[in-house]
Amino acid sequence: MKNIRNAMAAVVATACAVGINIAHAEEFLVGSEVPLTGTLARVGTGMKEGIEVAADVFNRRGGKHKVKLVTIDDESSPAKAVAAVEKLASQGVVALSGGYGSNNIGPASDAANKAGLVYMTSGGVDDSLTQRGYKTFFRINNTAGYSTAMIGLLGDMGAKSVSIVTSTKEAPADLAKDVEKILKAKGVKVVMHSFDPAITDFKPVINKIKLQDKSEIIAMVGYENDYVGIIRAAKVLKPDVKAMVGVWSLATAKMASDFPDLMPNIYGTALLPFPAEFKTPEGKEFAETYKKLFNKEPDYLGQFGYVQSILLFEAIARAADAGTLKSGGLAAEVRKSDRDTLIGRVKFDDKGDNPLFSHRMGQHQSGKVAVVWPRDSATGKMNFPGVPW
Amino acid sequence: MTELILQAIYSGLLQGGSYALIALGLALVFGTMKVINLAHGELVLLAAYVAYAVESGLNVNPVVAIPIALLVVCTSAVLVYFLVDRIKEDRELNSLILTYGIGVMLTNAILLIWKADIRSTKSTWLQDAVVLGPFYSMRSELGFFVASIVLMALLWWWLARSWYGRAVRAVASNRDAAKLMGINPRTTEIVSFVVAGILASFAGVALFSYGVIQPPLGHALTVKAFIITVLAGVGSIPGVLAGALLLGVVEALTVTLLSSALQEIAGMGLFLLVLFVMPNGLFGTAARRG
Repeated sequence: MKNIRNAMAAVVATACAVGINIAHAEEFLVGSEVPLTGTLARVGTGMKEGIEVAADVFNRRGGKHKVKLVTIDDESSPAKAVAAVEKLASQGVVALSGGYGSNNIGPASDAANKAGLVYMTSGGVDDSLTQRGYKTFFRINNTAGYSTAMIGLLGDMGAKSVSIVTSTKEAPADLAKDVEKILKAKGVKVVMHSFDPAITDFKPVINKIKLQDKSEIIAMVGYENDYVGIIRAAKVLKPDVKAMVGVWSLATAKMASDFPDLMPNIYGTALLPFPAEFKTPEGKEFAETYKKLFNKEPDYLGQFGYVQSILLFEAIARAADAGTLKSGGLAAEVRKSDRDTLIGRVKFDDKGDNPLFSHRMGQHQSGKVAVVWPRDSATGKMNFPGVPW
Repeated sequence: MTELILQAIYSGLLQGGSYALIALGLALVFGTMKVINLAHGELVLLAAYVAYAVESGLNVNPVVAIPIALLVVCTSAVLVYFLVDRIKEDRELNSLILTYGIGVMLTNAILLIWKADIRSTKSTWLQDAVVLGPFYSMRSELGFFVASIVLMALLWWWLARSWYGRAVRAVASNRDAAKLMGINPRTTEIVSFVVAGILASFAGVALFSYGVIQPPLGHALTVKAFIITVLAGVGSIPGVLAGALLLGVVEALTVTLLSSALQEIAGMGLFLLVLFVMPNGLFGTAARRG
């Protein structure tokens, strides 16, 4: 009888131990440091939604590994971003997906690198981020991808003169300089107008473009609130331009619905047309999950957040299978990623950058967004010349 | 170039009118209670979000939201007063910490209720261009500039002529002497918070009508209002108007003649220059003599 009891106890103990081991092997904590309050709350929230969709999709795939997200709000502050990464590291996360704003991502990924954690993002396009030589830093987009798209569109328009209105924030300023340099090399006349992010009245800037620059195109490099201010000022002063072209956060469903009178004929970077058309099985699954979780149409922030995270989760699974996750093998697995995603093909170079990233350009047309560049991805013809007034 | 400079001055004056409306409430409370209400910008922002809620919910012109904004913001301002009034020691210093905290809470409440998205009016009527000779503006900018001048004139009249207005000035000048004259300082302070709330309500609806709002904006509004209050000389209504208009014009001229990247630096440069030459602000000394 005693032997039977001992045997049963041994079986129970073994089962518990195995069970615990299996649980540890299957579920990995992944940290997410994103701005949910402060100036970057809107974009941070968009990215967080994409990360959550990726976790949901990954966990439903039925693989033997699962992920559990731990999210900390970095309050749009570099110091809080570092504190968030350190706290997540102390909680035992195996990697990080998140970060918005190059000035926040820089110190946050420094902290992640010191803790030996992979940091994956789509929220910072500053070139200096990938020039630090960190083996743990990865991003799926970059300045070059945006400038290629903007310059490609301007080339198709045959622009001879461009006034660039750009925020002095790091990422827009870098992109604007990139665009300026390339356009000048092509013989295009370029006039730069840098503005402080605190500016609210753009009429004096637009008036300079109207009376002094007399450019054919106004290129805007900033954020949503800047675009609204610039386009409003242009609608009042009506400069004789042929088009107004922006970059991120502009050719979106949200801008079309929130500012219907300002958006007609405005251009901006766009991964997809609106209404969104997801043609791949992964795209359809992403869109369905996004709508189920958030009861709204997916946007580009969600797409970027999803792609960076799903690639990270897949690499975590591969590293776990190979038994290298705890011994620093995750970075090597992320670097092996090479596949088509919702933002095009992604692979990483030795600096952690995605050299294949190239954006597309969309145009607001009758309350919708048509992709108009590159031609092989176009879903509509561009209305050119065309302005909102 | 003349056309550019004229437009810059015009744009600067319109912008200055908006600054003045935001700064006046802060200046009034500081004048009465020696309390710098660091949540004042958030009260302005609250009014702006009320305008957004009314416009998006009822599909009406945001100007219609002014009565609701008055109710919500004045109630909030009185609540802020009651919290500040509980401070029994070192009120000037402790109220800074308290109102800063209230500002943070208001920002986060706005974020929770209305999310982080940027908001602005959809009314094309408010955004339509008004052209007066060489001067261009939106209808909302011009309309609220006029409203801001009228409100300031009314406030000036109220402070100079009405019993409560004179009571506010008396408490601001000498609280103990005012008490001896039969003035209840507590009631007077509540009145000044309510008047600040009224000004914040108009400023907020104006802001939503020609600008873009988002939750973190409140802090920037408070800073701008504080700069103007100090620039003007504490306790001076004409000083606030002059300081705000001057700041608006200097910023717009900086954008036109130099670079828009230097706009904020130019504003701070003006602030430091005035304080260096006139430590009591533009109208501070005259106000003290009076």
